[in-house]
Amino acid sequence: MFKGEERVRAIKVGFIVPGLLYLMLMAVFPMIWSFSLSFQRWKAATASPRVFVGLRNFYTIFFEDPRFWNSLRFTVFYVLIVVVIELFLGLLLAYILNEKIRFRNFFRVVFLFPMAAPPIGIAFMWRMLLNPDAGIMVKIMNSLGINVVRWLTDAKLTPFVLMSVDIWEWTPFMFLGLLAAFQSLPVELYDAAQVDGASRFQTFRFITFPLLLPIVVTLLLLRAIDAFKLFELVFGITGGGPGSSTESLSYYIYTVGFQYFDLGYACSLSWIFLGIVLLISNFLLQRLRKEV
Amino acid sequence: MKRNFWFVVFILCFVVVSTSFAAEKTWESQQGEFSGTTLTVLITDPHSAVVESWKPEWEALTGAKVEMVVVPYASLYDKMMTDFITGTGAYDLICWPSTWAGDVMGGEWVIPLDDLIKEYGYPNWDDVAPAIKTVVSWANKVYALPYDGDCHMLYYRKDALENPDYQAKFKEKYGYAYNVPPKSWEEIRDIAEFFTGWDWDNDGENEYGIAFIAQRKTQAMWSYLDIAMQYAAQPGVAPFFDPETMEPLVNNPGWVKAMEVIQDMTKFAPPGLLSYGYSELRQAYVSGNSAIGLDWGDIGIMEQSEEKYGSKVKGLLGYGPLPGAMKTYNFKEKKWVEGYNQVNFLNFGGWIFSISKFSKNQLAAYKFATYFTAPERSILDVCGIHGYTGANPWRFSHFQNIDKWIEGGWGKESVTKYLGTIQTILSDPKAVTDLRIPGAAEYYDYLDLYLAQVLSGTAKPEDACNNIYKEWVKITEAQGKEKQLNLYRESLGLPKK
Repeated sequence: MFKGEERVRAIKVGFIVPGLLYLMLMAVFPMIWSFSLSFQRWKAATASPRVFVGLRNFYTIFFEDPRFWNSLRFTVFYVLIVVVIELFLGLLLAYILNEKIRFRNFFRVVFLFPMAAPPIGIAFMWRMLLNPDAGIMVKIMNSLGINVVRWLTDAKLTPFVLMSVDIWEWTPFMFLGLLAAFQSLPVELYDAAQVDGASRFQTFRFITFPLLLPIVVTLLLLRAIDAFKLFELVFGITGGGPGSSTESLSYYIYTVGFQYFDLGYACSLSWIFLGIVLLISNFLLQRLRKEV
Repeated sequence: MKRNFWFVVFILCFVVVSTSFAAEKTWESQQGEFSGTTLTVLITDPHSAVVESWKPEWEALTGAKVEMVVVPYASLYDKMMTDFITGTGAYDLICWPSTWAGDVMGGEWVIPLDDLIKEYGYPNWDDVAPAIKTVVSWANKVYALPYDGDCHMLYYRKDALENPDYQAKFKEKYGYAYNVPPKSWEEIRDIAEFFTGWDWDNDGENEYGIAFIAQRKTQAMWSYLDIAMQYAAQPGVAPFFDPETMEPLVNNPGWVKAMEVIQDMTKFAPPGLLSYGYSELRQAYVSGNSAIGLDWGDIGIMEQSEEKYGSKVKGLLGYGPLPGAMKTYNFKEKKWVEGYNQVNFLNFGGWIFSISKFSKNQLAAYKFATYFTAPERSILDVCGIHGYTGANPWRFSHFQNIDKWIEGGWGKESVTKYLGTIQTILSDPKAVTDLRIPGAAEYYDYLDLYLAQVLSGTAKPEDACNNIYKEWVKITEAQGKEKQLNLYRESLGLPKK
């Protein structure tokens, strides 16, 4: 049917089209659909008809929805704290385990366990550990004479408890990335630094850190986006409480979408969420480009 | 003679044929009736224990296969509604709380059962308590099979409240003698304070005054509603909306007072109170850490077994209806009315079984549900013989068959009082039914959200009630005010506007 150039072109098209169709079906169509829904009011649970409301949903989000601002504030605060601490701890662990110490391989494997477990499982495990009546953490603390049971019931303390669990769970991710980076650093530079009489701190400050920076920015980007999607820990441990002190933006969107089935409003929130994630990614990518 | 013979043969044939047809049209499952059918049940724990109990013998009888999809309570609504909205039909039979009736029955996502009941019958409909008949119905049609009799009740420790020494000390401190069981929230407050922070049961640990569900997203709003019913409702008069205007009443002085009372109660509760969902509450209370508890009938079941539930209070619990209040706010007259007011409230309304309209096995689903909710089987699920199932008594026969309860581990005196309390509440013609209009899950989620802020001390009761009011107005408008008004009036038994 086709000959020569045409045949080659037809084969190319034949290979591309199914993938393109799949992409359209699975990614592009839902995005267009959800974008169109974000301009509608649709209370799906009661089989109500969809009503076009223009920018009303977005106006409500920005000007009439304190719960959105509360969840955004908590999420940004959460991301800033966990990502910075995870980076610092990951760097420290990678630095230590890059050295030739005893049981190095054992520790490398052990540190990966929290990251390998399913997040929802982690959440329910910590919920049980922190249970104020029967949780083992309370019993350990009590046996040490420390009376701390309000970690899931104090609106000021609970966000930090959630952050601690996140740090425990995701520091291995930073550690793994940075350890790989450490191991790929060129040995010659360190030999030269040693010859020039550089101290350990100077070596780290002027050689190791600049070389690690592109990896650090990439890890920060990946981790920040992931942390921004905070859901499982909130769902499993606090349910957004006490009060609304741990309600993340993802959890709020889930609540609107799948508890209230207010699908139009949930889509508007999702698009704003996507915009925020893109802004963060863009900012970090710009930094990455500069550094590289 | 020959003619007579053929006449007799004809009659016999007629009887046999008609009997065999009649046998098919029964709610009772028949041998091999659903061979090759797979029935999928969407359910939460601990209710899955009921299906688990009956599934082997029903499968053996009918040849069907029953598959359960067990989800946590927090995920049930979204799993169920997503299936409905997308029309997937992944679940044939769904066990859900009747408080979502507005969305589920009102949205006609489940089939009305009147035709099936008429055609195949139902195992003794007259045996079902009237309040339970109400919760399975919507717009004069039956949309669900009853399975659970739900109402909050008061639990108290007899070894604390009935101790003459403690009673004397209480009287000396507060200047009056409390009732047993306590009659009002004013009394409860003082009793809770009195029994907080000391070892009144001599087990070597300090105990607390009161425990209730308080964790966000785990049904804490019903603890609050126990109090709000007394200060903001009157017997037979629901306090949620003005039935003339659909104006939310949730920020009137009665509701605010109830919010103040529940906030006050947190001072006399165990330190982990705000992490008490229903499971945590039940485990904590039967471990013996509080003098007073509020719950559905489940604590009573868990009280009975130390081995299974760690109960340290077997035989030590007393039971009573919800405490009332010494004044109530009449929203129609917009004023406080002094004097004792006690309202029984059908919190949650009970778990019920419905058949999805997208199910391809509707008859099998109906017959399976009627199989295990029949009187002689359901008694085993509510009395403790099948362990803790989450199902509470809901048939008259459940209340009469004391021997089964004793077999389930109860003492005769305990079970008589326990059943007497529940039966009184479920039989009360003026008991207030739960909110059952479309969007009930959303109305209650906002109630739960702002209640959680009050309980955690991050919001003032009045501000919280005002915030709930604003959200309820928004939800009503989004759902359609006129439609909501008519459905609300219908749920109260009032004519449409």
